[in-house]
Amino acid sequence: MMSNLYKTAFLLLVLTFAKPAASIAQSTNKYKCMIQMTNYMGEGAYIVISLVNNRGAYEKTLYVLGANKKWYNTVKEWYKYHTQKSEKISAVTGASAAGGDRSVNVIEIDKSKINAGYKLRFESAVEDKEYHMKDLEIPLTTETLSAKNDGTGYIRYVRFSAN
Amino acid sequence: MTISIWRYSHLALAISSFLLLTLASITGIILAFEPVSEKIQPYRVNNFDGITLAQALPVLRKTYPDISELKVNASQFVQINGSDANGEKLLAYVDPLTGKILGSPKEQNEFFKWITALHRSLFLHETGRFFIGLTAFLLLLITVSGTMLIIQRQRGLKRFFTRIARDNFAQYYHVVLGRWSLVPIVIIALTGTYLSLVRFELIGTPKESAKVDFDAIRSEPAKNPADMDIFKNTKFSDVESIEFPFSEDAEDYYTFKLKTREIAVNQITGDILSEVKYPTQVLLTNLSLNLHTGRASALWAIILAVASANILFFIYSGFAITWKRLSNRTKNKYSADESKYIILVGSENGSTFGFAQAIHQQLIKAGEKSFLSQLNNYTVFPKAENLIVLTATYGLGDAPTNAGKFAALLEKHQQPQPVHYSVLGFGSHAYPDFCKFAYEVNNLLSRQTWAVPLTDVHTVNDKSPDDFSLWAEAWSQQIQIPLTILPELQSAASKRLETLTVNTAATESLKNGTFAISFQTRKRLRVKSGDLLAIYPENDYRERLYSIGIVDKEIRLSVRLHPGGLGSSYLHRLTTGEKIRAKVIKNEHFHFPEKAPEVVMISNGTGIAPFLGMVGENKDKVPCHLYCGFREQSSYEMYQSLLETNQAAGKLVNINTAFSRAGEKQYVSDLIAKDADLIGNILNKGGVLMICGSLSMQKDVIELLETICQSKTGNSISFYQSHNQIRTDCY
Repeated sequence: MMSNLYKTAFLLLVLTFAKPAASIAQSTNKYKCMIQMTNYMGEGAYIVISLVNNRGAYEKTLYVLGANKKWYNTVKEWYKYHTQKSEKISAVTGASAAGGDRSVNVIEIDKSKINAGYKLRFESAVEDKEYHMKDLEIPLTTETLSAKNDGTGYIRYVRFSAN
Repeated sequence: MTISIWRYSHLALAISSFLLLTLASITGIILAFEPVSEKIQPYRVNNFDGITLAQALPVLRKTYPDISELKVNASQFVQINGSDANGEKLLAYVDPLTGKILGSPKEQNEFFKWITALHRSLFLHETGRFFIGLTAFLLLLITVSGTMLIIQRQRGLKRFFTRIARDNFAQYYHVVLGRWSLVPIVIIALTGTYLSLVRFELIGTPKESAKVDFDAIRSEPAKNPADMDIFKNTKFSDVESIEFPFSEDAEDYYTFKLKTREIAVNQITGDILSEVKYPTQVLLTNLSLNLHTGRASALWAIILAVASANILFFIYSGFAITWKRLSNRTKNKYSADESKYIILVGSENGSTFGFAQAIHQQLIKAGEKSFLSQLNNYTVFPKAENLIVLTATYGLGDAPTNAGKFAALLEKHQQPQPVHYSVLGFGSHAYPDFCKFAYEVNNLLSRQTWAVPLTDVHTVNDKSPDDFSLWAEAWSQQIQIPLTILPELQSAASKRLETLTVNTAATESLKNGTFAISFQTRKRLRVKSGDLLAIYPENDYRERLYSIGIVDKEIRLSVRLHPGGLGSSYLHRLTTGEKIRAKVIKNEHFHFPEKAPEVVMISNGTGIAPFLGMVGENKDKVPCHLYCGFREQSSYEMYQSLLETNQAAGKLVNINTAFSRAGEKQYVSDLIAKDADLIGNILNKGGVLMICGSLSMQKDVIELLETICQSKTGNSISFYQSHNQIRTDCY
């Protein structure tokens, strides 16, 4: 009976840590990030997902929804950072998301940034419509990465799932 | 310059939008090739329309566990979106039945992207979009006004697709192509306008997502997706996109975005969690996109390209027409007050002005003071001696727009001195009511006390040079100013002269100042009673016209000998066997009618000439009534035996004679007044009245017939004139 209990506990322990343990060798984790848009009317929204440090400064561009560079300047705050830093973002660029759309993209997050005071910022803009610098901004913690986070602008909510 | 409200708006709209319209059409033609080039890609699977979700989704989800979305584009390529086993992005066209990757979607071609932006917004963002949207709307108005113009031109909606009278290249094809590309152009304009309204949110396209009650979501019984009803009943051809459940949790569900609705489906049980039908505006937006871009059909895309090319042609031909009309604008050297010749034109599109202009120029060249204007500018002309009216007819026998006020003005302004008038109608037998307005003008003028007819009313069918020169000859015969043939009308001049031999000379038959003369023609000469013989007494430009009657295969003329008359004394001098050179002029409208149930012939004096021949030609014994007036019994005697022979043969029902200087001193109009009932009946059943003789007789008879028409038939006389039921040939 006792040994069975130990076995079960061990098995659970293995199951719990098996996956993270396998990726310990890597410094980043991949997450599927699902953005559910509200039913706004108008053109497709340009949304930038950025890693922001505890002082509120941009650290890294994680994903850009919207492929046409000519509209990047509508995502104002991020654009200032982007033009200064000239990051290569072509690998993390996808289609823009219109009202009612759901967009699922894979983002890579440096493990060391999780639970370390960083934030994830979802910044959104629609041609000739309002710009939302913080459509959604959440602390980058294991908790938020497993929760449903509601947006304030064009984004209804965002969900993550470890890939 | 003629302007009607539709034509004015058509032109004003075209002028205000042609630059952007040109740009939009050119870019539109180019963009039509985008769907065409996409459709030739091999990513659409065979039998696509029959594939259900039950056949495809389990396979796709098994092959691509991290598939997040599936889209079916307008070309029916199935595109999946997700990540592969390594977490790398996956974006590919697949075969929905096998999951095999067929290719990867390419980004829109840079060139097409650039053209699209130009077509939509002129690179000016919102401002550009506004102007392009406005242009689409203007195009819509242009097509509406254009349609109205075609309906007016064709005299009614029912005749929309009947034959079009051809004026010139630009005009003809503007109308012909206008009719055929009307539908695609209306669609382009309407959908373009609609999309712009949607874009500016003047038409709302509210979005509604499936509302899912999470408390009611069941996690059993689990069903195989291939057996779920909604999967089996939904075809790929109805799908726009499918969002796959984000995780395997029962709370994550499928969202099917179909063509007409959105459905949320439980991924475990196959329950329908929610269903939302799209509002009409959204469906219309999709339809508009399909129709405006041709994305759903390569064939339609090509039709759109052709229609856009047509718009370019319309811009070109429209301006060519306008330019032509503007160049017809008149500049008068002499004022209305000082001119002896007044030429007034009624014309809808300005083509009649060309003829008027030519007459005007020739009069000026001949040293005369001539004034050219439109009928609506009719007023008092203090020095006028001659009035020439050239007018077309518009719509259902109506006045052209620049002649609409003429009738009222004629009432208002009486000329202080006698003025000779001559009316020439322009029209086409392609339309009913041929030259109706010209007849009306002539009838109106004949009622004015100051107006003296110079020639009978003439008509020109489809700008026929022969018809025109017939009038020109009649007119210049009276005025003694040669109207040489207009350059574009040269075919009439080339008509060759015939050699005629005098068979029976005049001298023996002279009675009461009239005589008959007959000519032998070459055997194959085609000539019918009612045609005209033009003779040239002095072998110069001076021409004299006589009505021909064919009797015993000879050309028979009846002539009144005028002392010092150029033509009559020439004919009178001719002796039997003598040969003359003359021209036979076809005068088809005065031939014996081929299909009339009954015919009435009205003449005075020598006007009986064509009828003498016609009664002989009446082989079918159509009931014919003859009303003829003479001065005395003896003038009639020279025709009496011929007419009575024909009557005995059944070719003539009755002969009514009036003598103005003997017995009851009657005129031919008195005979007609007595038989008003008969005349009214004959007109009612489609019979034909033919009038030949002097213009003063014609004036009396027409006036009388007008009252008969009004009281017995309810139509005005011009109705019968334009329908060829009342035909005149007077001098």
